[in-house]
Amino acid sequence: MKKPAVDPALKKVLQEFSRSFRAKRLAALEGYDFEALRTRLAAIKDDALDRNEELLARFEVNARAHGSVVLRARDGAEANAAILDICRRHGVRRLVKSKSMVSEETGLNDFLAERGVEARETDLGEWIVQIAAERPTHMVMPAIHLTRKDVAALFARRLGRDVPEEIPALVRIARGEMRREIFAAEAGLTGANALIAENGAILLVTNEGNGRLVTTVPPVHIVLASIEKVVPATADALAVLKILPRNATGQTITSYVSFIAGPHAAAQYIVLLDNHRSEMAADPVFREALRCVKCSACLNVCPVYQLLGGEEYSHVYMGGIGTLFTAWIHGLDKSKAMAKLCLRCHRCEAYCAAKIPIADLITALAERLNRETGKPLWKRLAFDGVMGRPRLQQAAFKAARTARKAVGTRDGFARKLPPWMKKYDRFRALPSPAAVPFTKLFKKEFGTAAASANEAKGPVTIYGGCLVEHFYPEIGMAAARVLAKLGYAVKLAPGLCCGFPPSNGGFRKASGQAFGTLLKKMEIGGPVVTLCPTCATMLSKRGPEIEGSEKANALAKAVIPFGRFIVENELAAVRGLLKTAPAGLTATYHDSCHHKNLLAGEKASRALVELSLGAGIAEMDESDACCGFAGSYTVDNPGISAELLADKLAAIEKTGAGIVAMDCPGCLFQIRGGSRSRGLAIRAAHTAELLDEALR
Amino acid sequence: MIDRFIEKAHIAGAEIERVADPRAAADFIREFLKKNDLRTALISPDLKLRPPFDMEFAGTATALGGDSIWVDAGIVAADHGVAETGTLIHFDRSDAEKNAWTLPEVCLCLLEARDVTSSLDDLAPAFAAHLGRTDIPSPQVSLVTGPSRTADIECQLTIGVHGPSRLIILLT
Repeated sequence: MKKPAVDPALKKVLQEFSRSFRAKRLAALEGYDFEALRTRLAAIKDDALDRNEELLARFEVNARAHGSVVLRARDGAEANAAILDICRRHGVRRLVKSKSMVSEETGLNDFLAERGVEARETDLGEWIVQIAAERPTHMVMPAIHLTRKDVAALFARRLGRDVPEEIPALVRIARGEMRREIFAAEAGLTGANALIAENGAILLVTNEGNGRLVTTVPPVHIVLASIEKVVPATADALAVLKILPRNATGQTITSYVSFIAGPHAAAQYIVLLDNHRSEMAADPVFREALRCVKCSACLNVCPVYQLLGGEEYSHVYMGGIGTLFTAWIHGLDKSKAMAKLCLRCHRCEAYCAAKIPIADLITALAERLNRETGKPLWKRLAFDGVMGRPRLQQAAFKAARTARKAVGTRDGFARKLPPWMKKYDRFRALPSPAAVPFTKLFKKEFGTAAASANEAKGPVTIYGGCLVEHFYPEIGMAAARVLAKLGYAVKLAPGLCCGFPPSNGGFRKASGQAFGTLLKKMEIGGPVVTLCPTCATMLSKRGPEIEGSEKANALAKAVIPFGRFIVENELAAVRGLLKTAPAGLTATYHDSCHHKNLLAGEKASRALVELSLGAGIAEMDESDACCGFAGSYTVDNPGISAELLADKLAAIEKTGAGIVAMDCPGCLFQIRGGSRSRGLAIRAAHTAELLDEALR
Repeated sequence: MIDRFIEKAHIAGAEIERVADPRAAADFIREFLKKNDLRTALISPDLKLRPPFDMEFAGTATALGGDSIWVDAGIVAADHGVAETGTLIHFDRSDAEKNAWTLPEVCLCLLEARDVTSSLDDLAPAFAAHLGRTDIPSPQVSLVTGPSRTADIECQLTIGVHGPSRLIILLT
C-alpha cells in the first residue's frame, strides 16, 4: 500500500474545522453533564445490543402494524438486491437519497446504476461529491475538501453556464436542481439514526430538510438501516437525539428531526442490514464499537484524520472507529493499513458520545491482525525477539551504548547514522544512548536507596522506563533528588521494559513476558512514581489486565505519575523548600497523550512547572495534540510523525516561551530532537528536571 | 420559559413575532405576504382545527395543492414549542401538512405560548403515543428548529438549502 499523503490545503480546512467544532460543541453542551449524557447513551446501547434480536423482532411487528414492509439482509449484497427488487416492483428509475452511510457500505449507488436505477444524493455535500465523482471525506461534512471555487466549477460544467463563486448563490442553484430531482424521483431512500422497537418508528436527523423531502415527496420510502440502530423506546431515541447534534456539529439540535412511522403514500420498506454486526455484537471485546451513533466527534479531534482526511484514512468508514467497522464489515485485510494510522493517543475517547474505548479496541485489533494476517517483520524482531526477552533486551541496549562512538555524539545527539535511519532523523535529531544508564548512575550517587531524612514518610520507588534508563538518565536523577530532598527513602525499580511497546503493536505474549519479568523483580511497598506516562498506563492498567495476579493489582494501585505524586502529597513542602524566588522564566506546557487522556496529570504538572519557574504557563495552541512520537508509530509512519512534530514546534514557537515542559520522555525525544534539527532556541525539559533545578 | 424559547429560537435563526391572538396573526400574515410579494401559499390543513384563525387569503396569495414544487409561503401551526432548543413540534397526520412546513421559501408558524414546554423529555410520552397510532396512515412527529441550513461548502453556514430560508414564529 502506498503511504498516505498529507494535502496541505485539506489539512488547513480540517484543522480549522476541528477548532471551531470544539468551541461550538462546548457551547452546545453548556448546562449539560456530558459524562452523564454519554453514560446513559452507552447503557441504552449496551442493553439494546444485549437483546438486539428481541428488539428487532418487536420493531418488525410494530412497523408492520403501521403497514411497513420489513426485510432482513444478511450482507450488503442481499440489501442491494432487496432494494433493487423494490425499485423494480414500483417502477422506480430514479431514487433520491438522504445521507446514508450504510448505503456507502453496501456500494448501493453503483449497484443500482449498473442495473438501470439512478440513485441521486440530496444532502448538499453528498450531492456535490457525487457530481464530482468523488468519495465523501467526512461523515458529517462530505465535501469539506472542496472550496467554493471547486464547487462553482463543478456546477458550471454541469449546467453549461457561468456560475458565481459565492456560497449563497451556489446553494440557491443546488436547491433548484435538487428540488427537481426529488420531484422527479419515484422513491426516496434514507438511513435511520434510531429504530424504535416500541412503535416501529424511525428517527431521522438532518439540517437541510432533505430527509423530510425525500420521505414525503416520492410515493415510496425505503429505509436502509443497520441492526444496531434499534433501541427499545421513544425516550431512548430522545437520548440519542440529546447528544448526537451537540457532539456532531455543536448544535443543540439540528434544523429538522423526524420520527416516522409507516408509509406516507404508496409504501414504506425497511431493510435491516446485519453485515457481520451480529458477530461483532457477540464478541466480548469489539461489541463496544457498535454503540457508535456516527456523530464523528472522534474524527474531528483525531490528529491523524486532520492531516489526511477521509479519503486517505478510510475504507468506507473513516478514522479509528471506522477501522474497527472496516475490520468486521469489509474484512480484516482491509483494516490493516488503517489500523497502523491510529496514534493510540486516546484523545477521541474524551469526546465519544457512547464511551467507546476506540484506542484500546485498535490495540485489540492489532493483536488480531498479528494473529490472523501475520506480524510485521521488524516488530517480530523487536518485540518477540528482543522486548519479550529481558536478557536480550539488556544486551541490545548495551550494544547501543557501545555504538555511541560509532554514531558520534555531540550534546547527546547522534551525528553519524547509517543510511537506513535517515528517514527518521531527517525531521528530528536522534539522541545517542546515554554513556551510563539511570540505574547505574543512581547506585553511584545514592547507593541502593537514597537516605531518608524522615523515616515516617517511608519508601518511594521510581520507575523510569526505557527512555529514562538508556537515553535520559538525568530525568531519573532529577526525580530521585527531589524525592530524597522531600524526605523519602528512594528506591529504584529494575531498569527493564514495562512491556508497553509490544502490547501496543499487538504482541500480547511478548508484552506479558516483559511485564511479568519486571513485576517479578519489583518490590512493591509504598508508591511507585513513574516518569513516563505510557509506562504508567502499562503498569497500572494494561499489564495487570494481561497478568491478572494479586501482585500486578497491587502494582496497579501503587502507580502514580511524578507530577501528581508531588502535588497530591508534597505541595506545601515544595513551596517551603523554594527558598529563593525562581527566575520568572516563562514556559509552555505540552500535554503528553497518556498523561492527559489516561492519567489526568495535566493540572498537577502545570502547577509544578509554574511553581518551579515562578511564572505562569504560556499556553500553546492544541497543547494536547500528539507530538507525533507515539512509540513505534514514528517508525511505521515517519511522514505523519514529522508533520505532527512540525505543527507542535510551530505551536511552541508561537508562545514565545524559552522552555517547553512535558512529562513524557517519548515526547521529549521527539520535541527536543525536532527543536535541535530546526535550530530553535527552545529548551525541552521534563517537569521533574525543572522542579529539581528550582530546589537546588 | 417563553423568554428562553424566544432566545433559543433566535439563536437557531428563527424570527419571532408576538401577536395578540390568532386573528391578529392572520392579519400579520396577510400583510407580510403582500409586503414581501409572496403570491403562492401552502396552508396546512390542520389550521382548520383552529377556528378563530381566519383561513381566507384570497386576493393575497393563491392557495396551492400540497404537491406543488415551487411555493412562496407556507402557513402552519405548531403543536408545541420547546424552550431548551427553540424547537417547534408538529404531530403530522398528512403529507399536505408536512409539505407546508418544508417546500416554501418562507414558513410562517403559529404557536401558542401555553404550548411551550421546557424540555424535549417532557414530550416523550406524547411522542410515543402519537407514533403508536394505527388509526392514521403515517403518524410522524416533526421537530423544526430555525430555517433549513447547511455548512457543506467551506463550513460556511448558509440557509435555505432544501427547506425555507425564513422561519417566522407568530407567538400568541
